[in-house]
Amino acid sequence: MSIEVRSPVTGLAASLTDVPDPVFSQAMVGPGVAVKPASGPADAVAPIAGTVATLHPHAFVVASAGGTAVLVHLGIDTVQLKGEGFTLHVSKGDTVEAGQAIVSWDPTAVEGHGYSSVCPVVALDLTPDSLGDLREDGQVSAGEPLFTVEGG
Amino acid sequence: MRDPSGTANDHRAGEDRRSTKGARVAQNKAAAILAALGGKDNVVEIEPCITRLRCEVGDDSQVDEAALKSAGAHGVLRQGSVVQVVVGPEADTLAGDIEDLL
Repeated sequence: MSIEVRSPVTGLAASLTDVPDPVFSQAMVGPGVAVKPASGPADAVAPIAGTVATLHPHAFVVASAGGTAVLVHLGIDTVQLKGEGFTLHVSKGDTVEAGQAIVSWDPTAVEGHGYSSVCPVVALDLTPDSLGDLREDGQVSAGEPLFTVEGG
Repeated sequence: MRDPSGTANDHRAGEDRRSTKGARVAQNKAAAILAALGGKDNVVEIEPCITRLRCEVGDDSQVDEAALKSAGAHGVLRQGSVVQVVVGPEADTLAGDIEDLL
């Protein structure tokens, strides 16, 4: 059985190796795909159905009932914005559907503060061979498939 | 499953051994990371991000990268006095445990 992981944002899919942060580009916390978001305010949505396991204004983890956990990071080094410009729509522990809005933000504003707005989407603690059907280039819309993960 | 490394808690009656052990393991990891950062006197500030602990240390030569990795870090990024310890999403919990030790 596999889980379809959806893009949290509308934008341009890219390889995780393009992300300007070694934790993500070297897949230190797991493999995945990056999405360079389109300009302007938007909602970042849940990549899978499950429970909101970790929640920051600029990043979140959704864990499926089977234990697959997907991390979405909105921009790079955006912890330093201390939540400014991010509006949360869920709480830690909430059950969410794939595609449900988690955070509203504005990638253009993030770039205005001098940070990359690229969004790593990472399957935590998995090996690269657990991933399939990777979309690493071309346009994706929020909620469209980005890759699949073996597991539950 | 018994902890092969010690039996100190095994005689405690009436406790939920599993949760006790879980808390103890987490505390040990926090203590191991703190020690590898050069101990509490060397830690100026520690802040969790979603995948890592961002630590500012007084003397970066006291940071033991190998010990950080054996304490469970996936990776260590160093820029002078700022050391980022990549621990995955348990960063929040670990930072709290380390703050308790400071």
